Amino acid sequence: MERTELVIVSGFALALDRRYHAETHMWVLLTEPDRVRIGMDPLGIETSGTLAQLSFDPVGSELTAGRPFGQLEAAKFVGPLVSPVSGTVLAVNDAAAVDAGLTERDPYGSGWLIEASLSDATGELQGLLENAAEITTWFTAKLADYRRMGVIAQ
Amino acid sequence: MVETLRVIDFGENSPLRSQTLWHGIAYGVSAGEAATLSFTRPVTPYVCIGYHRGIDEVDQDYCRQNALPVLRRMVGGGPVYLDKGQLFFQICLAARAVPAARRQALRMLLEPAVTAFRTVGVPASLDDELEICVGDRKICGHGAGQIDDAVVLCGNLIETFDHDRAARVLAIADPAQRGQTLALMRRFVAATPVDPARFQAAMISSYAAALGLVAAAGELTGLERTAVEELDEKFESAAWLAGPDRPAPRAGAEPRARQVKVRAGVWTFAAKRDGAEVAASIVRGSVEQVRLRVGGLNGSTREAERAIRGIPLHSVAQVLGGFGEPGRRLAAAFVTAEAGRL
Repeated sequence: MERTELVIVSGFALALDRRYHAETHMWVLLTEPDRVRIGMDPLGIETSGTLAQLSFDPVGSELTAGRPFGQLEAAKFVGPLVSPVSGTVLAVNDAAAVDAGLTERDPYGSGWLIEASLSDATGELQGLLENAAEITTWFTAKLADYRRMGVIAQ
Repeated sequence: MVETLRVIDFGENSPLRSQTLWHGIAYGVSAGEAATLSFTRPVTPYVCIGYHRGIDEVDQDYCRQNALPVLRRMVGGGPVYLDKGQLFFQICLAARAVPAARRQALRMLLEPAVTAFRTVGVPASLDDELEICVGDRKICGHGAGQIDDAVVLCGNLIETFDHDRAARVLAIADPAQRGQTLALMRRFVAATPVDPARFQAAMISSYAAALGLVAAAGELTGLERTAVEELDEKFESAAWLAGPDRPAPRAGAEPRARQVKVRAGVWTFAAKRDGAEVAASIVRGSVEQVRLRVGGLNGSTREAERAIRGIPLHSVAQVLGGFGEPGRRLAAAFVTAEAGRL
């Protein structure tokens, strides 16, 4: 996979070569016309705390947008990794499951979470942020919100 | 109209039910039942392990020999020893009522418990690592998780704490690490023996006030009773106890250190690498107690131990590097420990 070009927004890296789900902080990278790689953006990671554990539903599991495809544990809180799309799990990142720190260190690259086929190649991607300007605006606003609420240090 | 905080005091229960009762509530709250604060106490001791943690962290032989059941919960944290000297509480809310940012959610769910402790005369505070403490001693163990569409946080009032047993149920092969773990538990985990009835009353008032709800005694619904029965079966199954599937470490990967967390920022580890063995306790990022074993130090082992006591963990490799090739092997063993992932 090509090296990801990143922009820096107030100290946080943001990749503009992929789509984002605004609520779950998941990114979706189209790798083939009907296949995506899914990961977590740095704001989602930062607001979780130090990632202790990641676990994923097995390959072949059905994915439903808005429902869990695995679990994340940080700060003794186990919560769902929520899928931004519907489809089928084709691969899981075992390296991230063994070392959740990989997702912190390289969220857009080797710290990806799962790969999936899409149940509807065009429809599943609608509703995700795609345009570079809207992604940057959303990310900047979210970051400001989190700082205002004290979730992320100023 | 002000909504209700349902309060359920389950009293004393079997180890299994002291887990499944409150897990069952999460399914009710997911289905629309009111936010719920519950209490229970295990009638006999047992060991409970967090959702993701390996069952091999528990000394299963010891538990079998001492009739201590081992149960896996759906919320986070490590393996813990529970007994009648601990009153457990659980606060369960619809997930939509809890901030998505976890640290914010944990703060929201823990602060009313801090208020309750203070109400009954315990000078508790929530530290930066979200532990409920008196000074630097943890006085309440907690774990949290989202179960279906509900978020639940559980914690305890520690009236008495059996430090020896809490350390003994852990699978710790290295005697030095076992000793270090017990010493840190005694120092950093404390009981606050207040009247449990007063504490319960304070908890109910505090959570109701913080959440803007009116407390009312309640009981399990039919859906929740069914969920509890299903959970009874699930929690006793070997598949559930084994935990979620974990990929095997890649071939050739260095074995990880055996790490035991006592409280946030306080932990022990034991590691072996290339014939070098290390057992150390870490407090706030610095080495406290340490035992080194490696060939070739020619009588300088004690000197090496003294050299790294009290220094930050990140400086250990540099200091041990001054002890030649054996020191570098010891440093490599230190590198296998990683504080943040506990």
